[in-house]
Amino acid sequence: MTRLNLRMFTILMVLAVIMAACGPAATPTESIPDEPEAPAPADTQPVEAIPEGGGTVVIAMAAAPVSLDPADHRSRESETVIRNMFDGLVTRDNTSGVHLQLAESMDWVDEQTLEIKLREGVKFHDGTEMTADDVVFTFERIINDNQIEYPEPHTSPRKGLIAPLESIEKTGDHSVVMHFSGPWPPAMQLLVHQQIVPKAYIEEVGTQGFIEQPIGTGPFKFVSAQPGYEEVVLERFDDYYGGSPDLAPAGTACVEKVVFRVIPEASTRVSALLAGEVDIITAVPQDLIPNLEANPDIQVTTAAGTQPKWIELNVNQAPFDDVLVRLAMNYAVDKDLIIEQIYGGRAVALPGPLSPFNNFANTSLSPYPYDTTKALDLLKQAGWEDTDGDGFLDKDGETFAFTIDTIESWRPLAEAVADMYRAIGIDANVRFWEYSVIKPQLQAGERMAWLDDWGDSAFDPVGHFEAKWHGFVADTPYGRGNFSGYNNERVNELTEMGETTPDETERHTLYDEAQQLVYDEAPAVFLLLPEEVEAASVNISNWAPASDSRQNMHDVCKSE
Amino acid sequence: MKAIKVLERILATLPIMFGVAIIVFFFIRLTPGDPVDIMMGQGGAISTGEIEQLREEFHLNEPLHIQLWYFLRDAVQGDLGYSYVLKRPVVELIAERLPATIELAMGALFFSLVIAVPIGIISAVRQNSLLDRLSMSGAFLGISMPGFWLGIVLILVFSVYLHWLPVQGRISVGIELEERTGFFVLDSLLSGNLEALKSSLLHLVLPSITLGAAVAAVTARVLRSSMLETLRSDYVTLARSKGASEWVVVMKHALRNALIPTITVLGLQIGILLGGNMVIETVFGWPGLGRMVVKAIFDRDFPLIQGSVMIYAFIFVMASLIVDILYTYLNPKISL
Amino acid sequence: MDTTSGTDTRIGRHAHVWRKKLNIWWRNFLELLGELRKHPLAMLGGFIIILYLFAAIFADQITVHDPMAGNLRNRLIPPAWYSEGSWEYPLGTDAQGRDILTRVIYGARVSLAVGLISVGISVIIGLALGTFAGYYRGRFDSVVSRLADLLLAFPFLIFAIGMMAFLGPGFANLILALTFKGWVEFFRLSRGEMLSEKTNEYVEAAKVTGHSHFSIMGKEILPNIIQAVFVLATLRIGYMIIMEASLSFLGLGIPPHIPAWGSMVAAGRDYMLVAPWVSTVPGLAIVILVLSINLFGEGLRDILDPRLKVEG
Repeated sequence: MTRLNLRMFTILMVLAVIMAACGPAATPTESIPDEPEAPAPADTQPVEAIPEGGGTVVIAMAAAPVSLDPADHRSRESETVIRNMFDGLVTRDNTSGVHLQLAESMDWVDEQTLEIKLREGVKFHDGTEMTADDVVFTFERIINDNQIEYPEPHTSPRKGLIAPLESIEKTGDHSVVMHFSGPWPPAMQLLVHQQIVPKAYIEEVGTQGFIEQPIGTGPFKFVSAQPGYEEVVLERFDDYYGGSPDLAPAGTACVEKVVFRVIPEASTRVSALLAGEVDIITAVPQDLIPNLEANPDIQVTTAAGTQPKWIELNVNQAPFDDVLVRLAMNYAVDKDLIIEQIYGGRAVALPGPLSPFNNFANTSLSPYPYDTTKALDLLKQAGWEDTDGDGFLDKDGETFAFTIDTIESWRPLAEAVADMYRAIGIDANVRFWEYSVIKPQLQAGERMAWLDDWGDSAFDPVGHFEAKWHGFVADTPYGRGNFSGYNNERVNELTEMGETTPDETERHTLYDEAQQLVYDEAPAVFLLLPEEVEAASVNISNWAPASDSRQNMHDVCKSE
Repeated sequence: MKAIKVLERILATLPIMFGVAIIVFFFIRLTPGDPVDIMMGQGGAISTGEIEQLREEFHLNEPLHIQLWYFLRDAVQGDLGYSYVLKRPVVELIAERLPATIELAMGALFFSLVIAVPIGIISAVRQNSLLDRLSMSGAFLGISMPGFWLGIVLILVFSVYLHWLPVQGRISVGIELEERTGFFVLDSLLSGNLEALKSSLLHLVLPSITLGAAVAAVTARVLRSSMLETLRSDYVTLARSKGASEWVVVMKHALRNALIPTITVLGLQIGILLGGNMVIETVFGWPGLGRMVVKAIFDRDFPLIQGSVMIYAFIFVMASLIVDILYTYLNPKISL
Repeated sequence: MDTTSGTDTRIGRHAHVWRKKLNIWWRNFLELLGELRKHPLAMLGGFIIILYLFAAIFADQITVHDPMAGNLRNRLIPPAWYSEGSWEYPLGTDAQGRDILTRVIYGARVSLAVGLISVGISVIIGLALGTFAGYYRGRFDSVVSRLADLLLAFPFLIFAIGMMAFLGPGFANLILALTFKGWVEFFRLSRGEMLSEKTNEYVEAAKVTGHSHFSIMGKEILPNIIQAVFVLATLRIGYMIIMEASLSFLGLGIPPHIPAWGSMVAAGRDYMLVAPWVSTVPGLAIVILVLSINLFGEGLRDILDPRLKVEG
């Protein structure tokens, strides 16, 4: 070789060596090794009756989980993955309501005291047995302040979901008692959304170690996760106690591996399913349904939705401080057309602040009809008219203009609504944000209109109504999602009473009145409740999407 | 002597990196929006006490120059801070995503060289032939197409309609690969995993073509024009007159000298490779640094943005430096 | 001086001089056009550019539909050559039922405005700084050159993305982000040209005859530099347009309700499987425009500055 070539060669070799050496050191969360790296249970040999099936199921979700710590998140995607690794005291089935899971029995001793007997022989993924200590630890970690120490000490964001829980104590190796601050009718519904974590393990490795290698009692155990949880791999836990005996099939999971993958773009998700790269996809937009239905290898299913959508209007800022204007905003939207065109009929118009499927929905309410004449009339009464002939309404020299803030996921809905407002002379525009960025501004009351949803999956107003329509009170669960600034004394009162009244009929009356008030004062434009559409390949069986977004991988089987 | 010059050149990049760090720092600090709000935005209800705690921890109450000092001091030690959103050290996050981006850049470079070098040579040798005109037109097209559009069109044709190539991602789901270096192609070779090798190569095709198209176009044109020059030069005429075969003339003499300006231009194209990958990674769902930065920007995850931009600048400066050094060695007539 | 009427007054004399200059310019322009005819591709490019400019300026007059108002009943209609399409919406409609052709035409406004203005400002800043730095050298030169080197350390798109992230979407912000780094190239070019021109004889001659520095720079050297700068500028316009489109594609450019080609392509991605035209058509508009600009610029370069030719 000439001198020149030798030099070049050396340089390139050096570069290659540097690049190889600079590769990241293998950490447990990165590599996908053949052997599981998690502390192996004492007997990983499969139990004699290996269930038929096996295989790997890949699910594509629209957004990534934010955490695998059952106490440290408020997102559906996180809960989806978590509930396959962690079981709770109770669980909910899509059709039959709440069932006992880790709890063997639960009895109300009095209105405020709940005695729980725990199932015995339940193993965590590391082989240790679940006891009352773990249950006490789990709940104290949620309701006491600053219990989660990583990355900085903070309080569990799920505390608000079980706010009335004051204390919990161990009464035996497999029994605990929960003390509530008052009667709490939706207790069962909301306990579904908390899962049990292992005390000894967390105390040993800390929260940081826990989220790097989560350990629970669920049907699947953690194998690995990519940064940002773009991909999470789970493996069947062969020592699973079997799950709730009420819900068949009991026993260990059918499939061997579950992979959760994040594919934010809907058409990419659908392509991946059509190409056989993934087995199940969530959040299918209606435009793509015909593609899927036409394919004999794909099954498409829908479930009743639990994420009602509305536009919260800032009631403390003009022009939305005038109830006439807010009512007009409700009359100006042709919800039926949107449902027909954008959702393919797979949605229902919202009759009021609660989902029509909620057990306590006020059945006398019906959605605001589409009536542009009435809308313009109301606006005129409020002083808004097109006096300068530019096509837009104005008042005192100012044009009626505002921005609808929302997240990218609701783009078609937001743009369609904005179009409808423009059609009656309101200069409406849309702007897209990341939720975490806009949230502080919303809480400070700096935005005018926020289009989003709030989960209503408990079928009980609690967990939802007080978050949205009660006035904001710092350091309490009240108004934690209230971005309209709505604060009606009577509604607040009714909400608080509804939470603690045990009598069902009375609760109905209270909530009916509260809903009527919110409906009449219209702090939001009540839009619609879309169905959850999901699709899977036909060799997936025993799969049914749940309205609370739970992906129950335990039941699912895959044939080849 | 050259070694000392090289060292000087390397040291000269330090003030540039310093300047980069300062620029990035100030840009971030001067943006409206409270960082603590953003960090809090991730959680649910946070108590006011915790907010104060966070302010202390991130030195947000101190004057700007003190914050700058903390930032620089940490950066030099390799600590680029903590991601607000992903709650992990920035350096770790970057290290995890960087191999994907580099693999893509290398794929694009490979593609563009494979296309540009032969075309550049043949077009020069057969000047004004049909091939020449076609490829130069193609080159024009190459620099006129936005990467995001080309990527979408390629996906539509090759993935959606023809089903030849995968739609997105780096490797098919369900294929297990032991990651040692983070470069999937290398790792599958190292572990003898043929399935993974095939899958990762297939996934590399479309993104590499998309990212490399513009670079290929420019490189082909420059190579052609410098070849045309050298083919007319004296020493080539001399070689010909001495009876050397055409092949030897072209490859040994003309090409060697034509490579010099080509490599220079290639060095400048590294900017495109690094900058363009944010868009390409978004289009193809490629889990690299670019996509992470875009998401970080929307999340207002300042430490992550800061660290990533600095790493980009660093790589860019290093790459330019390497090109400079290569250039020197290639052209003995020129000293640094 | 000739003795036509009107030249005895001062204004008359100035007008006369200017008339002569205009004549010269006009003749140069016609000569340019003549030259251009020898480059058919460049002419085609120029013609298309004029077409786009025309469309952008007269958008209101030549379009039938409203670019912003959607009609849900008309969602995702395919372009006219499909069986389900119609000539009412020649290029189809998007997910909100808006006519794509109309939006593409309005999008031309954004792209052309951004391209021309950002390059224009970059040229002015770069030229001014470059000529001063090249002429006077000294501290000014080293400071600005250092700054330029520093800015060059960032890949263009990353810098632009970073700036847009902090400034937020908006037309003015976009121009700022693009010019912040855009001037560097023109600075270097004009400085380099100035450095080489400075040593020429006519400069020495001008100095000797007592011209001020300013007039030397302005009258003598500048016209020679401008040609090279002009050629570079035309080529950069296409690049800036692609940059703007990329930023809008990522959601960091023009606010979403204003029609812009990049954001149109991005919005169409969700419908790629059922309505590929929503993404591909606006992208095609970009390609055609940038290609035309590049062809035209190349032709211009061939004519004005043959020594920069890439062709043999």
